[in-house]
Amino acid sequence: MPSSDHVDPRRVVGVEAEIVTNVTSTDFPGHWPNEDHSWGIDKFKNTFRVEFHRNTPLFAEFDLIHMDASIANTFRRILLAEVPSLAIETVYVQTNTSIIQDEVLSHRLGLIPLVGDKKALINMQWFMKPASGDPPQDPTDDNTIVLHLSAACERIPGVSRSETDPHKLYTNASVYARDIVFDPAGKQVTTFANNPVRAANPNILIAKLRPGQEIDVTMHCVKGIGQDHAKFSPVATASYRLLPLIKILKPIRGKAAERFAACFPRGVVAFEADEETGEKRAVVGNARNDTVSREVLRHEEFKGCVELGRVRDHFIFQIESTGQFDADELFLSAVSVLKAKCTVLKRETHRMLKKQALDARSGSGNAGPKKGDRGWAAE
Amino acid sequence: MSDQREAYQPPNSGSGRSYAGPSAASGTMHYLCAECGVKVGINKGEPIRCKECGHRILYKQRTKRMVQFEAR
Repeated sequence: MPSSDHVDPRRVVGVEAEIVTNVTSTDFPGHWPNEDHSWGIDKFKNTFRVEFHRNTPLFAEFDLIHMDASIANTFRRILLAEVPSLAIETVYVQTNTSIIQDEVLSHRLGLIPLVGDKKALINMQWFMKPASGDPPQDPTDDNTIVLHLSAACERIPGVSRSETDPHKLYTNASVYARDIVFDPAGKQVTTFANNPVRAANPNILIAKLRPGQEIDVTMHCVKGIGQDHAKFSPVATASYRLLPLIKILKPIRGKAAERFAACFPRGVVAFEADEETGEKRAVVGNARNDTVSREVLRHEEFKGCVELGRVRDHFIFQIESTGQFDADELFLSAVSVLKAKCTVLKRETHRMLKKQALDARSGSGNAGPKKGDRGWAAE
Repeated sequence: MSDQREAYQPPNSGSGRSYAGPSAASGTMHYLCAECGVKVGINKGEPIRCKECGHRILYKQRTKRMVQFEAR
């Protein structure tokens, strides 16, 4: 972690009481005279760093250091909207006599995060929805997962009349996501053998039933992206913040040091024994935990003692997975999505330039370039 | 949501689960009593009346036909 002493001031966004200064990055060609800020893959490889701080299946926190905000934001947006995941897309209602309307029940079912064999899920094909008017496409075992949910509520005989707990009085008084059963078709029997498709969290309440009510639905799950519907987003959230920077300009000792520490979240300010006076002195502990609330700037006694800021190219990335894929895997998928998009862009650009060159060559014979037309291939 | 209604699919005949319609043999329709909730079978020409409590309001049962919805 960069200590507050040696962070290049060009990398620091200043956070003052009523203003945020030095916001835009300046490391691009032509900004600083006689300095080379051209982008190069080798330069990027040498400076760019990734540091992991937490990595669990459902949550990952890591730092992307020396990366431009546009790229970090690209990854965040791709994670939210373009990394594919499996979700319930169509609901076939045989019976639903619960008080939840069919439409609402379908919507609730769609939002349930699903888990299953990761490899088999990745290998799933896209189910292309036919345009209106076209004949419906038949779902197959490599693009659709079939789930069933059926629950009927009845009175349990022989329960005391004074009993008030619906779960003791009736069967299926609450229908939970764990009641959803997977119906493997074709090769899914083997590919999902060890890890069947099921709800990521078994305790999601879907509906409540009372005696005589019944739910019997069949669900088709397909692969989709968050751009289409939020249920396909593989992340609960993916966000980043900039690393906070605290610079103590004058020593703060004794009781004042305690008051100073109270302005920050716990752990942000640590104490050291002062060499001169032997009193305790405030030093920066874990600046990472700071929320940059600017509370310290409201206190008259700390005026001129401290400078707050954030490191502009140090992104603290946090990814929360919904469970279908591990949080760190999701980031790698986001990178590969971006890579695939770049490949397409490159190919299409080449194609476009080639076409323009060909057009110019064939066009020069009969017409010649129009007045004011300074095309690419004019030479 | 209106387009979801158009995605309605007819039931596969022969499933034998449609007790909402009159059963072919007897012509009996089953309704639910609005007062006591009991299932009442009523034949053609019979008075519309609950056989248990005599209430005259009966509800039609929900269709057993399959209805398709988008989970959106």
